[in-house]
Amino acid sequence: MHLIGEFREKDALIAAIQALKAGGFGPADLAIFSEEPVEFRSGILDRPSHMSLIAVGGAILMGAAATGFVYYAQHDYQLTTGGMPVFSFWATGVITYEMTMLGAVLATFCWFLWESGLIRKRDKTAPIPEVNPAAMCLRVRCLPEQADGVHEAMYQAGATWVDRREQA
Amino acid sequence: MASAPELLPYGQIREDLFRPLGGASRRYYLITFAVALVAIAGLVAWGIQLRYGMGVTGLQRPIFWGFYIVNFVFWIGISHAGTLISAILRLSDAGWRKPVTRAAEAITVFALMIGGMFPIIHLGRAWLFYWMLPYPNDRLLWPNFRSPLMWDLTAIVTYVTGSVIYLYLPLIPDMAQLAEHNTPWRSRLYRALALGWTGSDREWHALERAMKLMAGIILAVAVSVHTIVSWDFAMALAPTWHSSIFGPYFVVGAIFSGIAALMVVLATIRKTMGLERYLTRHHFNNLSKLLLLMSLLWAYFTTAENLTVWYGNAPDEMAVFGARTRGPYAVYFWTMVILNFVVPFVLLGIRRLRTVSNAVIASVCVLIGMWLERYLIVVPTLANPRTPSAFSSYAPTWIELAVTAATFAALVMLYLIFAKLFPIIAVWEFKPHPEEED
Repeated sequence: MHLIGEFREKDALIAAIQALKAGGFGPADLAIFSEEPVEFRSGILDRPSHMSLIAVGGAILMGAAATGFVYYAQHDYQLTTGGMPVFSFWATGVITYEMTMLGAVLATFCWFLWESGLIRKRDKTAPIPEVNPAAMCLRVRCLPEQADGVHEAMYQAGATWVDRREQA
Repeated sequence: MASAPELLPYGQIREDLFRPLGGASRRYYLITFAVALVAIAGLVAWGIQLRYGMGVTGLQRPIFWGFYIVNFVFWIGISHAGTLISAILRLSDAGWRKPVTRAAEAITVFALMIGGMFPIIHLGRAWLFYWMLPYPNDRLLWPNFRSPLMWDLTAIVTYVTGSVIYLYLPLIPDMAQLAEHNTPWRSRLYRALALGWTGSDREWHALERAMKLMAGIILAVAVSVHTIVSWDFAMALAPTWHSSIFGPYFVVGAIFSGIAALMVVLATIRKTMGLERYLTRHHFNNLSKLLLLMSLLWAYFTTAENLTVWYGNAPDEMAVFGARTRGPYAVYFWTMVILNFVVPFVLLGIRRLRTVSNAVIASVCVLIGMWLERYLIVVPTLANPRTPSAFSSYAPTWIELAVTAATFAALVMLYLIFAKLFPIIAVWEFKPHPEEED
């Protein structure tokens, strides 16, 4: 089941997260919903990301593939122009560079869709709270026997209301 | 500063920024109709060119590059407004960028769409455009990847893809909000484009990371694109083109014209959409300083480029230099200097004169001046080749003028449509912190 608590103050939300983490809940059990990004200092609710690594990987992959393709194409039908060698890295370096960047762009976008959960909902049945524009909602996934403890922790931290929700 | 947007209640911000999306005035329809007519006239002119061939243009031996290539370079330059300005300000965490970035990113996408059309229009046989795509055609020929034309293709494809994604990503949260209370077709459109955005911290984290990464990538791409456009010229052994500073010279010119275009667009939407509280004098003041800096940089590069040519005194280069500064193109050259340097220096350099309306006047002057600069780079060199007997002149026909006018109309039309479909300022970026809520 899920419990959803609404918070008006960021400090109250942080206190609730810390209390729940102390109670054994991990970042995967917690989700915050808001109409604007909420920044926390490191260690409160970290969401590790591999996006930079994926972008570099995409860049290398696409750059290498493009260079290989150009090498193949230039040798498949040899064009001798401007006294340049059939495959000249100086002359095709621009294409390698642009395709490297395109690889980074596409990898970043695809990984954003994946990591944000927009194309990979972790739990399709989890309830999505309607967030008041001035507030932040904390959703906690817990076992039914843990619900009272979570309820209490959120109220004590300063939640304006807490609601129990079954799977959507 | 009671009216600073961050201190306004959220309801007010939302109301102010979403209001322009609902309903359209008669004036809006009239302007859209007028610019659509100009755009259609340009399409008709292009149709005539396709039917009768390139002979209907003013292009003739040895001047094979005219208005179309001038427009290509000009519009690619304008496209630098969005990515460079938005990316630089985003990476440097400049707080005042918030109401500026989306308008800038939209200019990039539209200017690229328009600029990217010109190599195809210039091909003459536009239907053979696909020959540039990397596949073995009927004769088992591959494209020549060493040709700068192929460089342009890959650079523009990368830049368009990156710019569209860079514009789209920060639109997602706003579209999720817009999907909630709207007309049925708009709700469907926004819901589809919002991709099921819920506003969870995972989504916000991923969005912020992606935007930071994209800002860095797009910055590198934007610089490379205009460098490659400059190499279209610099790789040729033509007088005054074969210059090692052409890359940075073009990039500086592109940012210069991009900021000018951005200021004109911002001033227009500020006035027509009643966004004076969001686009304040402070924004125009900061952009004016940037424009002034770019004007000085442009003057530095122009001086360096021309002084080297003059001092070198090579006959073929001096023929072009003379034509530009004392000959048939002198009036354009000195007008360019006045519009790109003297006017911005006076209007933006003297603090008392640095008002919103003067900033717009300076920006319009810079746009005209930068178009002239592109013209002066392209045409005089081709009109004064190394063989004096081949000296020639160029005058555009009504076909080229109509196509050129159509591109300006197309930008206005695309912007008008965009501003009716999407908030021109990112609402979520303007949200006040809950404690500041009324």
